[in-house]
Amino acid sequence: MIQAFLSLILVFALVVPALAGNVASPIPIGVAVASTSNVALFGEEQINGAKIAEAYFNAQGGVNGTPIKLIFQDTAGDEGGAVNAFQNLIAAKVVGIIGPTLSQQAFAADPIANRAKLPVVGPSNTAKGIPQIGEYISRISAPMTVVAPKSLQKALGINPKIRRVAVLYAQNDAFSTSETSVFQEAIKASRLQTVTIQKFQTTDTDFTTQVTAVLGAQADLVVISGLAADSGNLVKQLRQFGYRGLIVGGNGLNSPNMFPVCGALCEGILVAQAYSPQADLPINREFTARFEKAYRKSPAQFSAQAFTAVQVMVEALRKVEKDTKKRITAMDLAAVRTATNKALTSGVAFHTPLGEISLGREGEVNQKQFYVSTVKMNPGGKTGAFVLIK
Amino acid sequence: MEDLLARYGFLIVTILQQALLGLSLYFPLMTGQLSLASIGFYSLGGYVAAVMGTHPALAPLREALGFSMYPLEWLVALLASSILGVVLGYPALRLRGIYLALATIAFVQILGVLALNMPITGGAIGIFDIPQPFESRLAYAWFFGPLLALTLFFLWRLERSGTGRLFFSIRENELAAGAMGVNVTARKVQAFVIGCALAGVVGAMSAPLLNTWNTRQGTFDAAVACLAYVLIGGARSKWGALLGAALLVSLPELLRPLKDSRMILDGLVLVLVCVYMPRGIAGLFDRRRA
Repeated sequence: MIQAFLSLILVFALVVPALAGNVASPIPIGVAVASTSNVALFGEEQINGAKIAEAYFNAQGGVNGTPIKLIFQDTAGDEGGAVNAFQNLIAAKVVGIIGPTLSQQAFAADPIANRAKLPVVGPSNTAKGIPQIGEYISRISAPMTVVAPKSLQKALGINPKIRRVAVLYAQNDAFSTSETSVFQEAIKASRLQTVTIQKFQTTDTDFTTQVTAVLGAQADLVVISGLAADSGNLVKQLRQFGYRGLIVGGNGLNSPNMFPVCGALCEGILVAQAYSPQADLPINREFTARFEKAYRKSPAQFSAQAFTAVQVMVEALRKVEKDTKKRITAMDLAAVRTATNKALTSGVAFHTPLGEISLGREGEVNQKQFYVSTVKMNPGGKTGAFVLIK
Repeated sequence: MEDLLARYGFLIVTILQQALLGLSLYFPLMTGQLSLASIGFYSLGGYVAAVMGTHPALAPLREALGFSMYPLEWLVALLASSILGVVLGYPALRLRGIYLALATIAFVQILGVLALNMPITGGAIGIFDIPQPFESRLAYAWFFGPLLALTLFFLWRLERSGTGRLFFSIRENELAAGAMGVNVTARKVQAFVIGCALAGVVGAMSAPLLNTWNTRQGTFDAAVACLAYVLIGGARSKWGALLGAALLVSLPELLRPLKDSRMILDGLVLVLVCVYMPRGIAGLFDRRRA
């Protein structure tokens, strides 16, 4: 058996990268997001958004007449799964990849695509350092350093008397810990006083300790960075114990999945968003109409960002055809990948459901407009919506 | 063939890696001890390699050593895991059965909380941009393959040596072994520490493989997965961990064409294995031999 292993290892050593031919028609674009594991909650929203984009752009004629085809690969929730999904997509000869769902997965899988010189557009990776992974890595999701402070400013606009801020965050969640440091800096910059910082776990359900600390510190603003379920319970318990001030939520609270958890007590939570279904843009009206028709709910930010990721990929492919005056399907795959990456990061403006965005040379997104919404619950407290604050 | 290897290269390496993790649990199991601590040492080893590979203060050392930096990382991980293994092993291995399993779970949790809160481990985002010794994921078989061969050879020798027989005597009947003059605690700690050291080295090799290292590598779920390799594969044979890891790691990937329903089939296969092969896959071969 040992000899068998050794000979197997010798075979591995002889591997040469597969040679690429021409691009297939319809043009294959990879989508590597989570459709299983606990991250699937976000991944499913992304898949929904991407499917709408596929239908929408193919109805427009795809890439100047050649339709696109999305190839979905499940990354599950872990790093290994993301690497496997990327390897599968590279082998499937896609022109670019949209994904993965989590920033940590991006740190594991993106270098592989970068080495294969395959453009990756991150639809929801917001951690620091993602576009810096490599030349071929970009994202359309604005980093939280840009988004988060907007809701804080809005809260101060609603109640200028706010002075004492309590900060709560889920310490076992990468996004929340990064986001809270952004919030804390913004609080300092606004000359507010941080009266208490409380940590919790995304798996917690009892927040008595944290709530008692917030009430004891007489905070008049609470800032929460967590995921939908834990934050929903936290908000519920804050209100039940008698907290009356404003609540600012991070991006994890930017999800309708929170509504069933805190019910009527969700009312009034302020959330900064990179996307609002109510944004009055032609492409967004089209997107929300198609989405609502297909899924009978309004699109979440994850869906809109996935749509946008497909859009920038398609528009980049169109630009490649225009610049080279050749059909994508008549070009060598490796050349298309490189040219597409160049077109993506050329700084040209994309008019997306998120508003106008462009990608800088490094692959970092530059988004023009952000939105602050407040939660309005319907009578009965089971359903609700994020309503844009003008 | 080339296409296949490019697509499944990472998977093949993952099987070797996870088999090694399973084997790290087999060492304490030789003395009949159910420990879940391996994943903690795996995580520790990964952090050692990640920090040594990326910390700016160590840049001159990395430049001076070049490729030899990787063996040095393994060595540091080995030492750190062995020392921590002894420190943890002595008090923990006075516990038996389920209590030992609980104590080792607690240890994994403590390591996780520490990693989340220490600046050097990068909090929840972890450490990324870890230097790569190889371009292709498959080439990492050069790390894990020899280590696996070495571990299996070591086990083959150990099982036939006096020490191995002492281990097995404790597994079969701890009281009787003690009565025969076996220093039960010392032997249990010995087996435990070998397992910890192996897990640490595997972790140190895995950090470059994954490009990034974070607390999600050392979770309770991962600990249970490792235990499952041993149990599904067969807890009483060194081949069990290997077979279990090969099955459990490759199944979800090979079922990929089934899309979302692949996890259902994956679960179904596991249940069937548990029901119809109570002694694991390796147990099946035993029966045939007898």
